[in-house]
Amino acid sequence: MHSAERRTVHRWTFIWTGALVALVGFILLGLAISASEAWAEVSAALGLSLVGWGGVLQVFNAAVLVPAQSAMGGAGAQGSTGMLLSGTLAWLAGWGLIAAGIRRATGPGEGASPAAGAPLYPRLARYRDFYWSTLGAYGGGILLAEVALILLQTVLSSGVPSTELGGSAQNVGGGLSLPPTGAFAISLVVACTVAFVSGFIGASRAQRLSLPEATIGVLYLGLPIPIVLTLMERVPSLQLSLGYRLREVTYVAGLLGRPELAYWLVFTALVLALVLGINTGFIAAGSGRVDLKLGFELFVARRHVAVFRPSLLLGTLAVLMFGIIPPLLIYFIIRSAEAAVERTRIRALGLADPLAAALDLNRLKLREQSPTMMMTALSVGGVGVGVMALIIVLSVMSGFEADLQQKILGTNAHAVVSKYAGELPEYPKVMESIGRVPGVVGQTPFIINQVMIASEGNVDGVIIKGIDPQTVGSVTDLPSYLLGGGKLEILYTPEKILNRGLPEEDDAASPEPGAGDDIIRRSGKATKPAVLPGIIVGRELAASLRVVVGDRVNVVSPLGTELGPSGPIPKSRAFRVAGIFYSGMYEYDSKFVYILLKEAQNFFEVQGASGIELKVADIDDARRIAGQVVKVLGGYPYRARDWGEMNKNLFSALRLEKLVMGIILSIIIVVAAGLIVATVIMLVLEKRKEISVLKALGVSDGGIVKIFLAEGLQIGVAGGLLGLFSGLAWCVFIEKVGIKLDPEVYYIPALPVRIEPVQTALAVVIAVLVTYLASIYPALKASSVEPVEGLKAE
Amino acid sequence: MALLSIRNVFKSYFLHGKRIDVLRGVSLDIEKGSLVSLIGASGAGKSTFLHVLGTLDAPAAGEVLFDGRSVFSMNDAEIAEFRNRTIGFVFQSHFLLPEFTALENVAMPALIQRRERTGAYTYARELLERVGLGQRVDHRPGELSGGEAQRVALARALVLKPAVLLADEPTGNLDPATGEGIHQLLREVNRDLGITAVVVTHNETLARSMPRRLRLAGGEVSEA
Ligand SMILES: Nc1ncnc2c1ncn2[C@@H]1O[C@H](COP(=O)(O)OP(=O)(O)OP(=O)(O)O)[C@@H](O)[C@H]1O
Ligand SMILES: [Mg+2]
Repeated sequence: MHSAERRTVHRWTFIWTGALVALVGFILLGLAISASEAWAEVSAALGLSLVGWGGVLQVFNAAVLVPAQSAMGGAGAQGSTGMLLSGTLAWLAGWGLIAAGIRRATGPGEGASPAAGAPLYPRLARYRDFYWSTLGAYGGGILLAEVALILLQTVLSSGVPSTELGGSAQNVGGGLSLPPTGAFAISLVVACTVAFVSGFIGASRAQRLSLPEATIGVLYLGLPIPIVLTLMERVPSLQLSLGYRLREVTYVAGLLGRPELAYWLVFTALVLALVLGINTGFIAAGSGRVDLKLGFELFVARRHVAVFRPSLLLGTLAVLMFGIIPPLLIYFIIRSAEAAVERTRIRALGLADPLAAALDLNRLKLREQSPTMMMTALSVGGVGVGVMALIIVLSVMSGFEADLQQKILGTNAHAVVSKYAGELPEYPKVMESIGRVPGVVGQTPFIINQVMIASEGNVDGVIIKGIDPQTVGSVTDLPSYLLGGGKLEILYTPEKILNRGLPEEDDAASPEPGAGDDIIRRSGKATKPAVLPGIIVGRELAASLRVVVGDRVNVVSPLGTELGPSGPIPKSRAFRVAGIFYSGMYEYDSKFVYILLKEAQNFFEVQGASGIELKVADIDDARRIAGQVVKVLGGYPYRARDWGEMNKNLFSALRLEKLVMGIILSIIIVVAAGLIVATVIMLVLEKRKEISVLKALGVSDGGIVKIFLAEGLQIGVAGGLLGLFSGLAWCVFIEKVGIKLDPEVYYIPALPVRIEPVQTALAVVIAVLVTYLASIYPALKASSVEPVEGLKAE
Repeated sequence: MALLSIRNVFKSYFLHGKRIDVLRGVSLDIEKGSLVSLIGASGAGKSTFLHVLGTLDAPAAGEVLFDGRSVFSMNDAEIAEFRNRTIGFVFQSHFLLPEFTALENVAMPALIQRRERTGAYTYARELLERVGLGQRVDHRPGELSGGEAQRVALARALVLKPAVLLADEPTGNLDPATGEGIHQLLREVNRDLGITAVVVTHNETLARSMPRRLRLAGGEVSEA
């Protein structure tokens, strides 16, 4: 090798002149761009070039523009073209001068080395830095994964026939009609597998990690699709040309409320899968052949980090369950008591036989722990805390979500069929058709409107719903929400309402409730005892109107008018409160009132109904069944909306909240992963000599990586399992013992918990994955220790 | 053909911008089954030479051929396997793995090969008996004396019956009697198993007792 040192030589006159010329060029360019008012395009192009695609796009643009311009042959553009040209030239020339001013020069050497002319050490001579095939595998892999995800999502989920996507010839008959979330899960798994496999293939062919290839591949081939998807929301032309093809994809992303967040999360997941694949490929085959066996590596790793020891696991579990102070106190008390007893015993023994005492003393010393041990315990605890927090918080949020969903679906239908405009006079016929759609288990017609409701005490704006008491129970839980054992059927017999409103003892006293009897009593209280149609109000509304069952309320419709003695006045009707319901949702209990469908038809002059509410067998399938119903009805002018669509904002807000919570809590795990990185790096430094020896004994680079990955993974798995146990234990505790909530605020008596297996497993998997990723860097560092390095370090 | 041939090997160290040429074009053939001693002043580069021979260190230029095959053009897996199966190395200081017992240390090369454990331990125990450490199999390196550790290291180098044994002052820490025992053992494995051995030593009598003697001086190797 040539030993002569190379130095950088600066020629400052060149550099300064170059800078000046470049500045002039820059100003000229700026002027030219300002003159043609092209700043927007230019900055867009510059922005794109940050991603790496700017140059390519510009070439395309130019190819399109130049012929067009020359065809126009505009003379006005000539001036700025000249300026543009000269500016560009000056700009380039300036940089050229600067480049010429900085040179690498060969310094004065020590003369030729004695090795000059000898053959170069063969491994060095063969060394290559860049593999196009690997770049193709990484970049193509991530692109393929993205395309596969989008195509699969579209084909698998309901609605869009595959032919609409253009290329594919065979028609799958309107897609495979899976529920969108299910389709998404399948597509995501497939896409992640694609990314993983391509990473694996790329890395095992190149036999190295190939960071440059991975970066370039992900940047150039992976980024465009998520960028386009993100821009789609903002750029109308993109929306027009792509939106309808990608509507299944945007629908799933939209479930989160923030589609772009969803796109980038999925992209991150794919990149992670690629990275895992690359790493696995390198470890398995990086040393020249595929070797997936682990026995020896685990043997060494377990000696280095002994995580799976009962004392460590139990100790960490105790800390996770009871906090850090109590277990520590107990530990120290037990420890010092034990030591005291032991020492007394040894002293007694020593008086008789000093050698036996020395043996026991030695044993006592051996139990003490090393600092790496402490670090390991800390890392395990850190991962455990993260997983535990993730599981508890997500389970509680799922509990809230489930509660909310149950309440919303209790008062609301799963889907609503209506027309784009107008009423449904033919609703009995429509209901008959709908009844034949498989999956629909209940339906009821309704009329909905907004009105003012007034009692003697107060007035409020509410939503009034005309219902059919016979069928409404097949769709919502309204009948079971009625307080005091009330029945909806009472709406059919308004004359019986008054009786129910009486004080209980009176009710009991008069076994034969008759209208006449009521009239006498009521007249005694100077109210007019008329038979009025019944109305059902929510508990909160009843409280604010200060009404009880049997009281009279006035409903005023702001829309319809009647001709009164002094001109048109708002239409108004008197109702008698026939029942009070309590759903547990403040929104409903304070804003909804129910009357008979017939009354509503008369009051609002509606023919038939405004729509039909449906209940479906599987709520996750509501979207598909709603689509099916519309198809059966013959499409336009009918339409159907499912509960997810109707409460889109609420549920997407909930999901977003949960996701953000998950991300925030995952930060704990990431911090813990930092601890793991530190621990494993400490281990690597501590074991440098041993790494060298292992290599000298014939362990390959891949083997060393496996050893240290196994050490990090041990910590991750132990922490993940401990977190799982303690998290589940806490959840069960919260569920069984219960944590009281302020009923005024939360409408739920105790903190709800719902352990979702998938989400819980995901928390553990994330923890293990993060620790795995965290150990990659130290493990690679370990494998790059050269045999002689460690042997010299004594 | 020679088992090991070293062709024009150069090796330099760089320290504070200065070049120290340790090996300046060493060329040498070592026949199969030969027993070679290597002597030279302290700092002459004996350990460096041995490391290059054992593929632990890369030369700047030149080649080492084993059975006519250039060892430095092998890929990572092949080189690891070469170190594991073909070379037995005894370092200047013992370099045993501290977390493992003497027995496990000796069996380690076999375990790396993923050989079955009990078989490996049986042979390792036999070898430990052979170097006089039958009573120390369960000791960790920290619980062995320097000489004992060195003998464990020798047993480890021999456990896979390598084609080549490279020993860097294996008797440096031993009393004369034990040292003579080790020399006896080296001669035995050379004779009985046909192991080719290169032994670095400062011990003149030992060096003289070897069939072939090499001297490393001024970056070059010559017959002594
Ligand atoms: N990493 C290094 N950096 C710089 N110089 C080194 C390095 N390693 C060894 N040297 C130098 O190279 C020379 C040869 O070292 P080497 O260990 O091969 O000597 P040796 O012949 O084995 O000596 P001894 O008999 O004392 O073991 C020494 O002068 C030493 O100072
Ligand atoms: Mg030496």
